Amino acid sequence: MQLDFVSRELTIKLVYYGPALSGKTTNLQSLHGFADEASRGRLMTLETRDDRTLFFDLLPLRFRGDGDLSLRLKLFTVPGQVIHASTRRLVLQGADGVAFIADSQLSETKNNARAFLDLKENLRSHGREMRELPLVIQYNKRDMPHTRGDDEIAQLAKKGREPVFAAVATQGVGVLETFVSLLHLTWLSLDASHDLTGKFRFNSESFLQEVIGRMGARGSIDQILDTCLGGHFEARRREPSQ
Amino acid sequence: MKPQEGANLDIDDLTTTKNVRLEDLIDRESLKEVITSFVTLFGISVRVYSADGEKLADAVEQQDICKYLNELPDGRSACAATVATVKRTSPETMEDIVHPCFTGARYHIAALMYDGRRVGRIVLGPYLPAEVKEVPGSLMTAARDAQPDQLRQLLPRMPRARAETVHNVAEHMRGVLDLILFSGHKALLTSQMHLASVRESYRELQDKNHRLQDAYDKLRELDRLKSNFIATISHELRTPLTSIIGYSEMLGEGIAGSLTSDQLEFVNTIREKGEQLLTLIMSLLDLSKLESGSLALVKTDVDVCKTLDDVVSLLKPNATKADVQLAVDAPAEGLPTVRGDANRIRQAVLNLAENAVKFTPAGGSVTLSAKVGRQVMDEAEDDIGFALIAPARSVIEIRVADTGIGIPEHEREKIFDPFYQVDSSSTREYGGTGLGLSIVQRLMQAHDGKVSVEPNHPKGSVFILKIPIDVDP
Repeated sequence: MQLDFVSRELTIKLVYYGPALSGKTTNLQSLHGFADEASRGRLMTLETRDDRTLFFDLLPLRFRGDGDLSLRLKLFTVPGQVIHASTRRLVLQGADGVAFIADSQLSETKNNARAFLDLKENLRSHGREMRELPLVIQYNKRDMPHTRGDDEIAQLAKKGREPVFAAVATQGVGVLETFVSLLHLTWLSLDASHDLTGKFRFNSESFLQEVIGRMGARGSIDQILDTCLGGHFEARRREPSQ
Repeated sequence: MKPQEGANLDIDDLTTTKNVRLEDLIDRESLKEVITSFVTLFGISVRVYSADGEKLADAVEQQDICKYLNELPDGRSACAATVATVKRTSPETMEDIVHPCFTGARYHIAALMYDGRRVGRIVLGPYLPAEVKEVPGSLMTAARDAQPDQLRQLLPRMPRARAETVHNVAEHMRGVLDLILFSGHKALLTSQMHLASVRESYRELQDKNHRLQDAYDKLRELDRLKSNFIATISHELRTPLTSIIGYSEMLGEGIAGSLTSDQLEFVNTIREKGEQLLTLIMSLLDLSKLESGSLALVKTDVDVCKTLDDVVSLLKPNATKADVQLAVDAPAEGLPTVRGDANRIRQAVLNLAENAVKFTPAGGSVTLSAKVGRQVMDEAEDDIGFALIAPARSVIEIRVADTGIGIPEHEREKIFDPFYQVDSSSTREYGGTGLGLSIVQRLMQAHDGKVSVEPNHPKGSVFILKIPIDVDP
């Protein structure tokens, strides 16, 4: 996160992590499509070979709030392929929140787990702990054959800590929900540690509501958050007021 | 893993557009080309300024009326004032500003934004709005010393355009420049990411190398300790063992009184086994000395033919017992001598020959031969000037060929490792410690020589020792 009090500008970095070909770039493309013209920047894709991300994709978003407050969101994807370990580590640097895009196909079970351990390891190399990181999980490719069943995912989600979303990123299904949840969690976490609401003196709930509206989301934050599977989300949401 | 040390690059600094400067991302020459093509297309002059107000490029067509007015004192000062105001005007938002000129012409000023930040501006003009039909009063007032006829003649030559058209031109140009900026920014990011990734990979590699080096150093130290340990233990074991053998010999010889045949047999077994144990310990001691490099070679001129004869006479009883034919094949005229330790070379040959006899079934044969050979050319050597030295270097080649069980190809590399045996079950069948060949190899290394193994035809193995003869003794 970068704070600029002079220009009242707040920059938040969100990273889409996950195994190769799980649909991280597709998530960003989909979000780019949903966002309104004034808020979205160009989706920058750094060097792809055969449609594979080599360095990262970057979707810059910007929003204006009350009293000249400016919020910039930088959405990154990491290259999923195993060989790009050093790039992943670089991109992860300074991430405020992570959306882990998992591949629902049964054959990808191990790759999902491996990528997650890789995330953990890379966080540690930056001297950070998984526990402190706002994280949401997306089970993508729900439309593919031979995937983990809905019931099973729901059950897994219930036991886990993170909110889980089912998605078909190619059709834009579940993409916004994942994003909203990630933004909300990240916001709560940053607000708790940096007192953003106090410093910028604004109504963060209504601002967030406006932001997600500009991203094309219909309904209130709570309604959107309710679509998640499992996760001890409620408890986490109440954290800052405690 | 330790927190990042080498990666001094922050991606957030790279991707922030806060420091994006038009002048850094755009090539001025190319920018001039682009705007010149606009001017050619629309006939309206264009200037592009950076956020700091520096002119980055322009394509200006001097208007006849401007030229005329600039020749007049009043006109010149009025023109300078207008131009100065235009230069100062900088729209904060995407809303364009239209600034009027006293001639009735206009300047159109449009902000250049990148990622929502102002990075510069475009100034289009002067152009004459379509609705201005005659010389306006402001021009007459500002340039009192001008000839009205001249003004009436020159003003219409200024390019005419509708305000909406100029706005569209500005919009289009803004789009083109935005694309150029985006491409430039992307290229910059890509190259910086390349560098950062390489640096990060390098750091990672360095890290691994350090760890490997540490592990290697630790292992080497352990190896040294192990060798020392073996040397010490062997020595400590040998002393009491010598006494055991000595006393059992004395017992066997009846020095302490005569023994029954059973007692004699037992005592002899004790002595035999004791000697076997001693041989094993001696081998271990040799190996550890060779490993630690503390084995001193007593170098003399060694006659290899004599060595072979010695070995054969030593092994003859064993070979006869095993029904294995033992033969020597050496040139009758003898061979040049080699500089080396006669005992150690004999030990090496004896080791190989003992093995050969041991692993050759009854009715087979073992042949020891020696000849002068050329230095092997096919093996990798890192000697400096090898290509020059090698051909000049001769070796004495000693071959120990048997017709025994042979050694499978994939085992041939490993048999020289200490304690290695092709088939561990052979230890029980044939006995031995598995140290012989590694001792031979170390002895050869101490003589700058080599030991290798080849299959014998039709069966069995050939062990080859190569000991160099000095080029210039």
